[in-house]
Amino acid sequence: MKVGAPKETAPGEARVALTPDSAGRLQKLGYECLVEAGAGAKASIPDSAYEAAGVTVVPTAAELWSQADIIVKVREPSEAEIAAAPDGKTLIGFVWPAANEDLLKKMQAKNMTVLAMDMVPRISRAQKMDALSSMANIAGYRAVVEAGNNFGRFFMGQMTAAGKVPPAKVLVVGAGVAGLAAIGTSVSLGAITLAFDVRPEVAEQIESMGAEFVFLDFEEKAKDGAETGGYAAPSSPEFREKQLEKFRELAPDVDIVITTALIPNRPAPELWTEDMVEAMKPGSVIVDLAAERGGNCTLTKADEKIVTDNGVTIVGYTDFPSRMATQASNLYATNVRHMLDDLTPDKDGRPVVNMDDDVIRGALVTHEGAITWPPPAPKVKAIAAAKPKKKEPEETAEEKSAREAKELKKSLNRTGLMLGIGSLLILGLGTVAPPSFMQHFIVFVLAVFVGYHVIWGVAHSLHTPLMAITNAISSIIIVGALLQIVSGSFLVMLLAALSVLMASVNIFGGFLVTRRMLAMFQRS
Amino acid sequence: MNEGMISEGLISDGLIGAAYVVAAVLFILALGGLSNQEKAKRAIWYGIVGMALAVAATIAATGDAAGIGQYVLIGLMVVAGGIAGWIVAKRVQMTQMPELVAGFHSLVGLAAVFIGINAHLEMVRALAAKSAGTAGELAGFAATIAKKTPVELSILKVELFLGILIGAITFTGSIIAYGKLSGKLSSAALTLPGRHLLNLVAIVACFALGYLYLDGAGLWTMLLVAIIAGAIGCHLILAIGGADMPVVVSMLNSYSGWAAAAIGFTLGNDLLIVTGALVGSSGAILSYIMCKGMNRSFISVILGGWGGESTSSEAVDGEMIEARADAVAAALQDADHVVIVPGYGMAVAQAQAAVSELTKRLRDQGKTVRFAIHPVAGRLPGHMNVLLAEAKVPYDIVLEMEEINEDFPQTDVVIVIGANDIVNPAAQDDPGSPIAGMPVLEVWKARQVFVCKRGRGTGYSGIENPLFFKDNTRMFYGDARASMDALLKELD
Repeated sequence: MKVGAPKETAPGEARVALTPDSAGRLQKLGYECLVEAGAGAKASIPDSAYEAAGVTVVPTAAELWSQADIIVKVREPSEAEIAAAPDGKTLIGFVWPAANEDLLKKMQAKNMTVLAMDMVPRISRAQKMDALSSMANIAGYRAVVEAGNNFGRFFMGQMTAAGKVPPAKVLVVGAGVAGLAAIGTSVSLGAITLAFDVRPEVAEQIESMGAEFVFLDFEEKAKDGAETGGYAAPSSPEFREKQLEKFRELAPDVDIVITTALIPNRPAPELWTEDMVEAMKPGSVIVDLAAERGGNCTLTKADEKIVTDNGVTIVGYTDFPSRMATQASNLYATNVRHMLDDLTPDKDGRPVVNMDDDVIRGALVTHEGAITWPPPAPKVKAIAAAKPKKKEPEETAEEKSAREAKELKKSLNRTGLMLGIGSLLILGLGTVAPPSFMQHFIVFVLAVFVGYHVIWGVAHSLHTPLMAITNAISSIIIVGALLQIVSGSFLVMLLAALSVLMASVNIFGGFLVTRRMLAMFQRS
Repeated sequence: MNEGMISEGLISDGLIGAAYVVAAVLFILALGGLSNQEKAKRAIWYGIVGMALAVAATIAATGDAAGIGQYVLIGLMVVAGGIAGWIVAKRVQMTQMPELVAGFHSLVGLAAVFIGINAHLEMVRALAAKSAGTAGELAGFAATIAKKTPVELSILKVELFLGILIGAITFTGSIIAYGKLSGKLSSAALTLPGRHLLNLVAIVACFALGYLYLDGAGLWTMLLVAIIAGAIGCHLILAIGGADMPVVVSMLNSYSGWAAAAIGFTLGNDLLIVTGALVGSSGAILSYIMCKGMNRSFISVILGGWGGESTSSEAVDGEMIEARADAVAAALQDADHVVIVPGYGMAVAQAQAAVSELTKRLRDQGKTVRFAIHPVAGRLPGHMNVLLAEAKVPYDIVLEMEEINEDFPQTDVVIVIGANDIVNPAAQDDPGSPIAGMPVLEVWKARQVFVCKRGRGTGYSGIENPLFFKDNTRMFYGDARASMDALLKELD
């Protein structure tokens, strides 16, 4: 079958759903690849690069739609595209079915099989095709770069001959994929980075990226992020008040604010109000990644960059991934390629729509003339439910010292008891045993102690050689046999001779095999 | 200091004593040297020199009472035994180390029994000669005994009894362990009804016989003790399953030491006592480390089986997902940090050379490859280290559990080869599991885990392993060696 990528028709869209690299992999799956002339131009992929990868370049969109069996796209198809499309094609791309029900009906009428990249469920197995995450990652990175572009100072603090430069202070609101990417970029540029999220469980992730988690002192039955597929849920009014109060406190202090807070299927929550913008220093920058859904900042204007009266720049672009078209195309094409990988279990270039597969079923929005959206709940939960954390009661200094004293006493008691019993036993032995025995006994006890201390020092990796060498030296029993061999009795001599024989096997065998083993241990 | 010495030898008592002290010190140095690989290569010579010194001094000390014949006999035996030992040591495969060690132990045990019986015979002879007034003509050990007081003789009898008892248990136990480890006997635990009672009765019988012997009964009591103790050794080890073998072999190692020490007491020879005590405590510590590695008490291991504990282990839901060699290869190509967890299955399949080759390839590509060794991986303490060393895996990338367990979250790919219980998360998560509390390698914290395994079955302990059902785990079925070879082909 043929997979084809048309040029994106949406204004300003620079991405493309097929790259020479992904085409190579698709060919291995048994697909033939087509691309519309100039589709990759804005993403810096010339037609010649496609041709070099064995992709057929088709001059017009109409030809591509008619020749290809599977159309891969980035944006949802426009009405014109659908109208011109032949019947019965398979389409893979962003669809946003919740917002585009009309479009769904039109595609259904054309008997199309449509897989929405934005509907891929968030389960581990589907991470490789999670285009939303790939795009969010780019958006987060680009947001910091865009902020830097509009910010008049360094991110990193420096001590120069011309004076001291303080580091920039960046606040990232919302620690999803985009937020975490923004945090990572900002930290690596050297800014002091603060981050906030309504889900307390992400504090660990935030801190692991090198940012500081803005902690809200608020008692609320925290909702488990796992219930909502890893996304944030709306918070209570009291919580929101507390949160805004915190932001108000931070506003005069921070230089750059990057907001990424989105709740699925709702307008973006308003988190950065007008009075906070007013409290910010002139020259500060706000990048609002939620601009498309109304923005987290009250003053954000979608697709625009504005400067407020007090000199704060607010960036409300909605096309961050498209602004990094090469990177975005590469990642998106790989996501699409993985989707096709799963659709083609036999690697024979024939897609199979397996309705039992959670991932495919989740992404499928129309199929065989029916609308299959919304999908049933997946069998596998997106993220394992977080286990309730048990709070260890903090022990006070007195409790701690009391506990330690108790432990010490216990161990002293035990040692004392052991010593007592040991001494009594030895005393008892001393009363009945003759001095010659006690002499040997002392030697024995000392040897056990020496052995104990020496053996604990042996490296674990050398335990097998240790066994082999102790084996060899335990044949010291040969000394006993040697002492007996001079006996006048034949039987004694025979047994002693046999013992010498066996001990010799052991001595030679044991030492040799130990040497053989030790010689094998080589350093790299 | 050694009353076993007699003055008609070629060298004086003092000189012999000095030789023994030096030998004992050399043995301690030999064991102490095993603290690291480079020192160990030198330290083994201390052991060899010590042994040579001890043997030479003893032969010199015995004198020429029995004429030149004894030297010929000793020489013959040493050469014959030496050649046999040499051949065995040269031929043995590193995977066969556990059974070799077990086999060697049996020899020490048997020698201890023989020497114990000899001591009795000599004692009878010496006492007869003493009452006949011809004690002066006695040579060697018999001459020493003739000088003993009645109390010393009683103590001698106790020591002799202990020497024979421990020696016999070591002898038969080691033979059974050898059989199990070499696959000549089934490695499953034999559970006779009332086995604990059986052991108890046998031990009581031994001690009763020991009492009779002290009371003046003859050689037959000691022979009977040897036979009953032998039976105990057999039964004890038969009841212990395959994966507990590391503990058993260390325990037998310990016993062979205590047997030597007991014989040392009998013969009044300090060198034997010191060496026996060193070996005995070494084996005991190894057993302790192994038991700790399994979170089991020494007693429960020795008494055998998993002891009918209630196995309320949780049923695992989910499915095992299979991966083929190409998928494993692809994951390895993308990985920077790889950890390999070998288990007994690697030794069985003789896969270590292929694993080493894999390691080398990956390292040549600039990836970090390390090995994680669980204390009870394999059938002998440190077994995996020796196998990997033989396959030329550098020892500084082979790490212990404590050293590497923290690093799994930063690891891209873990390959588990022929290991099961030591990577079972149930040990931490499921308090009802029979292995709950056992320290395990936390491989599931890595980004991706491949488990190389022969089939779908559970491990030695019969415990379901939830690791196999985790999202980030893929099963790589097949014989370990064949799988590694297939993987190497894919990496070309």
